[in-house]
Order: sequence, then C-alpha cells, then structure tokens
Amino acid sequence: MTSELQLLWLALMLYTLAGSTAIGSMVLAKRPEQLILALIMVGLAVHAASIGLRWERIGHGPFITMFEILSSNVWSLLVIYALAYWRVPAVRPAAVVVMPILLIMMAWLLLTSPATGHFPPTYRTVWLYVHMLFGKIFLGTVLVAVGVSGLILLRHAGLGAASLTRLPDDVRLEDLAFRFIMVGFIFESLMLVAGAIWAQDAWGRYWAWDPLETWAFATWLTLVFGIHLRVTVKLRPRQSAVLIMAMFVLAFLTFFGVPFVSTAPHKGAV
Amino acid sequence: MSVSEAKAGAAGTPIASAAAAWLKRLASPRLTLVMLIALGAGVLAYDPDAGARVWLLVAPLFLGALNLSAAMFVSPVFRRQTALFTFHLALLAVVLLVAMGRLTYLQGELELAEGEAFSGELTRIERGPWHRSRLERAQFVNDGFTIRYEKGVRRAETRNGVRWLDDAGREQHAVIGDNEPLVRQGYRFYTSFNKGFAPVFVWHPADGSAPRRGTIHLPSYPIHEYRQALDWTLPGTQVALWTMLQFDEVLLDPEQVSQFRLPETHTLVVRFGATRHELTPGASLTLAQGVLEYERLSTWMGYTVFYDWTLPWLFVACMLAIASLAWHFWNKFAAQPWDR
Repeated sequence: MTSELQLLWLALMLYTLAGSTAIGSMVLAKRPEQLILALIMVGLAVHAASIGLRWERIGHGPFITMFEILSSNVWSLLVIYALAYWRVPAVRPAAVVVMPILLIMMAWLLLTSPATGHFPPTYRTVWLYVHMLFGKIFLGTVLVAVGVSGLILLRHAGLGAASLTRLPDDVRLEDLAFRFIMVGFIFESLMLVAGAIWAQDAWGRYWAWDPLETWAFATWLTLVFGIHLRVTVKLRPRQSAVLIMAMFVLAFLTFFGVPFVSTAPHKGAV
Repeated sequence: MSVSEAKAGAAGTPIASAAAAWLKRLASPRLTLVMLIALGAGVLAYDPDAGARVWLLVAPLFLGALNLSAAMFVSPVFRRQTALFTFHLALLAVVLLVAMGRLTYLQGELELAEGEAFSGELTRIERGPWHRSRLERAQFVNDGFTIRYEKGVRRAETRNGVRWLDDAGREQHAVIGDNEPLVRQGYRFYTSFNKGFAPVFVWHPADGSAPRRGTIHLPSYPIHEYRQALDWTLPGTQVALWTMLQFDEVLLDPEQVSQFRLPETHTLVVRFGATRHELTPGASLTLAQGVLEYERLSTWMGYTVFYDWTLPWLFVACMLAIASLAWHFWNKFAAQPWDR
C-alpha cells in the first residue's frame, strides 16, 4: 500500500507542477505548452501505476470508495484533457482553468481515507466498465468545455489579457466549448443506457428514480436544455460560458455528491 | 402532407389556416424549452413512492411529444438534416415505448422454499392496466442456493439452482443470481437479498383427510438474525401457532469468510396457546385438530420478477437516437475544423 500512495503523491506533485506552470505562464505571458503536457503525461503514467498496484492488491478497480472514485476521476479527466490539449491548440491555455479544478479534487482526494470498501456482487459485470467509461468521457469533455468557457470569462474579466489575445475570438471559443458539450452529451446518453442495462440485470429494473438516476437524468436534461437554448436564442459567448459552467457544476454534484449523501442502492450497498 | 400543401390548404380555408397556425405554435422551439424546464422540475419533484404525482412527468412528456411531432412535421430543419430528424424520431419512439411499457409492465415479489415450484402466485404485485398475465406458464423450481459472505458478513456471490420444463417437455437447468436472471415467458426472475430458513411440516388432520406438507418462511436471515420467529395458522383450521428457530452456532462469522448454511443442530420452539413445545426434526406435536410433524429445516429464497416487453425495442430506439445524433454532430463538426 505504501508504494501505491507514494506513486500517487508523486503523480499529484507532477500535476500540481503542471497546474502551477500553466498559471504562471498566463501571468508571465509565456507559452511552456510542451512542458505542461510532458508533466501531465508523466504524472498520468505514475498515477496509472498507483491505480494498477491498488487494483492488483484489492482485486477490483477503483469504483467503490470516495478515495478510489476521486483518484480514478482525476486520472481520467486528465487523460481526456491531455488528449484535447494535444489535438486542439486552442484548448491549451484552458489549463489555467482546468488544473485548479483538478487540484481541488486532488486536495479532496488527500483528505479521504485510502481504506478499501466492499465490492458488491452486482458490480461483477462488464456493464460496470462500460457505464464508468462513458461517464468518465462525458465528464472529461464537459471539463474541457468548462476550461474553454473559463477563458471567455477570464478575457471578459480582463485577466491574463496578454496571454489570451492570441486565442480565437469569443464566438469561436464558444463554438469550440459547445462542441465538447455535444460530444459529452453523446457519452452521457451512452452512460445512461449502459447504466440502465446494468440496473436491469443487477436490480431487476432499468430505472427506479433513485437519487443518482434522478440527478443523472436532470443533468442530461440540462445539457438538452443548453443545446436547445443555444439554437433557439442566440446566446452571447459569455452567457454560453456561464451555462456550460452550470452544466458542469450539476454534473460534478451528480458524480461526486449524490452517491455519497444518498443511502439508495445505487451507492453499491446491495 | 408537406408544408407547401399545408400552406396551400391554409390559404384555402379559415379552419385550415387556423390549424396551420396552431401547428406552428405547437412546433415552437421556445415551447421545447418550456417543456424541458417543466420536465426538469417534474423529475426533481417526482416521488416514485407517491404514484399520484406521476403526472409531473407525464404532462411535460406528453407536451414534449406533441411539440416534437409538430416540429418534425413543419420545421424545414428536420427535412434538411436526416440525422437530426432520425434522432428526434427515435427520441419520440423512446417516449412512446416507455409509455407502452408502463401500461403493460409487471413487477412483483415471490418466495419459494427449496424444492418448491413457482405456481404463479406473487407476494407483492404491481402492474400496468394492460398487463395480461402469463405467470402461470412461467413455472420453475427452486433447487436451493449458495451465498458466500466476506468478512464482516458482507454478502458476496449468490448462486441459485433452478429447473423448469421447456416447451418440448424437456427438463432444463440453470444457475441464476446477482446479474443473471431466469427468463421465462418474457418474465425475468431475479434472486434477492431476501432469503432465510424454512421449517418443513407435515400436517395430519384428525378428520382423516390427506396429510399436507408445507413450509413456513421465517424472517429473512441474517438481517433478522435475532427475530427468527413467526405467527401462523395451521391449514384448514383456526389454530394459531407461534414458531421460533433456536440454535447456538455462529453461522456467519464476521471475522472470516463464510457461507450461508443450515445449523448443525437446532430446535423449533412451537407455542400453542399457553403451552410451549420444543421440536427436533422428526418430532410431532399432537393437537385436538390433528398431528403436526416437524420434518426438517430447509431454506427459502425471495425473488423479484419483472416483465416489460419493450426492453429490446427501447434499447434499439436509444441506440438509434444516439447513433443518429452522433452522425449529425459528426457532419456538423466535419464542416469546420476544431481549431479555427
């Protein structure tokens, strides 16, 4: 267990360094983009080793305790962000928004107990992996959208002006952010379908309005609303940015709040 | 009828004109937004235990279905974009299938002792108004179960043997449990956490009529570990008995991995009026109405049953909706690069 935690700490330090470099580069109007990506990639490799060691030791993946869920989500969110960072240069300055959000999750992770939890028999199914994978891609793409939206809001607030001037205009950034929302919407829909299939097999019903299902559906509706609103009412980029932030907050609370304040079966208690 | 025909008709008669105007209003994207807000509020306010509030979901979904149907009929956007049209059509199909599912579904619970055949009787039932029961044709026999417990008496795998006769009259066997239901006649039978001990009795009535073998299902174990007692009435009589299972063994040790099993030794305490009797397997209790023979201790398993014929169609409609939306987005994104 010691080596797992040591590797985790090392990964978190590398991520923190990447986040600090991103913030510092915005303040100083520098562009150490390759360095930030390298720090994230090395951190991801070390973090993957930590997760792998724990998986091997306890016999199941990081799906049960808050420690495991936060750790695996920090990893998966950074994988998605690193992919976007690599493929879409306009996303790179968004590290200044994305990394602080992840640093908050990392701080929360360090406050949770690394003790193991009970792995319910209903979790022994391939649908767990399918459901989790789609959920992680959904949250990751929404996080990237939040990062890009944050750049719009920073520019309006007059922060990091020197660094942000070289970015595309707000309309293009807003379009980019909504592209990630749309991709996220596809994966959220897939997550709900996979979850329903799993629930049918595990609990004998595909939908029962338990708190997590209710809030996941409310999040899905919020994305539908946001996408429709953007088409129906011509939103200004700043308004779109705020809307995307609201979507992320709801999705984040659904992922990390509801399962741990509710005693309903979805928590994995059965 | 196309929009141009509708317009031509609208120009022709005042009724058609009014209908076209209404259709256009009904198809409004702003109405979609209102419907989404109402549905969101309904989702958060809906309480599945208070069925009367189901209108909170049904009303906005009905409005949404009307809005969507009208939009697909009048909006030129849908005619230009096949993928978007397919997505919304599939979404409409999902709503209709869910509605059909709620009208024809069945959900219930049943309990079977080891060796007992399911006869179609449920202990709890909830069903849609259009459900036509075929439960009596979904027979199977509970052949007993094994349940492993991890340290701390945490339930791990459940394995329940079942058998049934197929349509050709051949005996079939399967092991169900956890994520694997038994599917018979479209009904899906799932093992549940609800299971326990079942004393087997033979009742020999004093009037000389045929003896009857049966079981009583003691409260679920280990949840009700310290409440293994039950009030029940002898069949065909008014004789009320109180029965309690008594044993000293620790069956599920919290300190180690264990398995659900019968106690090696036990007694059954039977109270009849003011008298108390302790029975071991094979012992009998003589009453004025007949003789109660305690045969042995067995187990019972609680099952949940679910029927919804729409499930495969719902899956197809959902996947069609998601695939067509992905296709629509792909076309949209391919038109302009991501990093302009």
